[in-house]
Amino acid sequence: MSVITLESVKKVYKLGENSVHALRGVSLEIAAGEFVSIIGPSGSGKSTMMHILGCLDRPSEGRYLLNGKDVSALSRDALAEIRNKQIGFVFQGFNLLPRTTAVENVEVPLLYSRPVMHAHERRERALKALAAMGLSDRADHHPNQLSGGQQQRVAIARALVNEPSLILADEPTGNLDTKTSIDVMQALQELRARRGITIVLITHEPDIAAFGTRIVAVRDGVILSDVPNVPRGLPQDAPVALAAAG
Amino acid sequence: MFALMPTNIRLAIRSLSRNRLRTLLTMLGIIIGVAAVLTMVALGTGARASVEGEVKSAGTRLVFVRAGNYTRGGEGVGIASGLGAAETLTPADAQALRGLAGVAQVSPQLSLRASVAAGASRLFTQILGVSPDFAGAYAWDVRPGRMFAASSHEAVIGRGLADTLFGKSLDPTGKTIQVRGQEYTIVGVTNDQSEGHGDMLFVPWQAVQASMGIGYLQAIVVAAERAGDASSVADAAKTLLRQRHHLAAAGKNQSYISAQGGGAGAPDDFTVETQAAKALTQGLYTPAAAFALANLPKLDEVTLQEMASTLDRASDTMTALLASIAGVSLIVGGIGIMNIMLVSVTERTREIGLRVASGARSSDVALQFLTEAVTLSIAGGLIGLVLGLVAARLVGWALDWPVSVSFSAIALAIGIAALVGLVFGSYPARRASLLDPIDALRTE
Repeated sequence: MSVITLESVKKVYKLGENSVHALRGVSLEIAAGEFVSIIGPSGSGKSTMMHILGCLDRPSEGRYLLNGKDVSALSRDALAEIRNKQIGFVFQGFNLLPRTTAVENVEVPLLYSRPVMHAHERRERALKALAAMGLSDRADHHPNQLSGGQQQRVAIARALVNEPSLILADEPTGNLDTKTSIDVMQALQELRARRGITIVLITHEPDIAAFGTRIVAVRDGVILSDVPNVPRGLPQDAPVALAAAG
Repeated sequence: MFALMPTNIRLAIRSLSRNRLRTLLTMLGIIIGVAAVLTMVALGTGARASVEGEVKSAGTRLVFVRAGNYTRGGEGVGIASGLGAAETLTPADAQALRGLAGVAQVSPQLSLRASVAAGASRLFTQILGVSPDFAGAYAWDVRPGRMFAASSHEAVIGRGLADTLFGKSLDPTGKTIQVRGQEYTIVGVTNDQSEGHGDMLFVPWQAVQASMGIGYLQAIVVAAERAGDASSVADAAKTLLRQRHHLAAAGKNQSYISAQGGGAGAPDDFTVETQAAKALTQGLYTPAAAFALANLPKLDEVTLQEMASTLDRASDTMTALLASIAGVSLIVGGIGIMNIMLVSVTERTREIGLRVASGARSSDVALQFLTEAVTLSIAGGLIGLVLGLVAARLVGWALDWPVSVSFSAIALAIGIAALVGLVFGSYPARRASLLDPIDALRTE
């Protein structure tokens, strides 16, 4: 089943008297368990795509089906609930709350789950997510006590904690050195392999896009190319997991 | 909506304690507002209660007749040598005053500073020679014991003096005490503290006359039957005494100035003063005070009800004043909170973006910032409360004013502080909740 279906989605921003056509009709289908890299230079419309995919913004025209449900015209609060339950975000700047421990950062999405979750259950689930990212011993560290790679792993744990079906990663390696970037990308690959989570990665770097199973190139608000890819740097057990996921 | 309250309060406290100086400065308006209001309410209600108590307990029943006058010679302001030193009042005058209409008690009064001895203790103090009626005039509570009998060698002792001479709270009745070679038996203790009575020894006036070797009186205390009659009793006493002292009659339409100073007729060789007037000029027996006094309206004729209604009006005015001061300081404090919350929303745009991306609804974000504003204002209110209580105590102690802080005043102060946070925090909270998550996440 498709996790994501975009049907000739257009997005127009009004800037004073000018309108900017960020997306000029994009159709895209992403199946469960895919790792799709969306690549394009700045201004190509990939960020707008990310915002629409993440239910942070609504298309001006066209339809967006998430897990088979049309979310193009939902209310703000309904979109908030979809973000909470079905989507995990990983940002370039990590976006961890400063002076807040790793485990409390991971708890943030759980705060907004309905029905309201008990504090001890939140803590338990957050610790589990941190453990999955190999950060059990860093649970009580503040972001400034963690390395860039560790911070991004905390952010991934936060994206994971509500067990979403989709993770949206917006330039997740933009602030990291090459070696750490590879670590973080492998962590994402592992998630997909182990849990079958669909991953959509936004990047402008071809060698980061190469970690995906499919590469979608975007330019000037339209899709230029959409090709399958043999992911680089797969962990050793990946082929088995891939087979299972596929 | 309220299930997240504990988390929100924790978040608010953490976020506020991150920038302590800023938080403190922001709370300053609320702190000062609440402290000022509480101090003034405490002092206001305390003072009001005490004034009411005094009005009730004192009444204005007493008229004091003293020998001599402020002036001699009748022209303008003279020297005050005559007052109390003159020999013009006699026991027969006291007897005559007893016959006036509306008079309840009359007591001669002679005062003497002398050393008193009881066993090994010796003390220099004031002795007052009075009659048994004196106890009635001042509505004494003589306990333990009783008032002394007329023309006896019995004495009543003030509570303070008894404590000093015989030890605290001991019953001195039956003990003897010597004054100028004369022995008195203590028969009672008066608990009256007014006019220094607590530290005095009271004996029959005849004994003091004998001890001083004089036949005249220094003063006569006259108690009217009803509070409010004191002025008319004073006028009657004046007329009676002028007659008895054969002073030439003054003009019919005497003003108070001429009555005191003599005016058309011969000057008084005595002074008549009501208790209300005396209380006003306590310790001010100067010609200037006498002049001021003479021109005052008849204070004691003001009934208690009128006094109470005057007090009510005064306290209404005070309340209005308090309310406006409170209003201004709390509005200023509230604007401070609004300002800093707006700054906080701007500073934490990324945090808001992250929370919204993680699934926070607008109302979740609004509630978080509103909780922070209210926490801020309540914290300020609590600090102001403590400061206000301390300040009220200090001012009360320095001015010797009674202070009373009611629970409702405290609850009101905190409630108002919370309300200020709610009102002035709602706009920043709304701003936070309406932030576009895309813009919020993009902000560096």
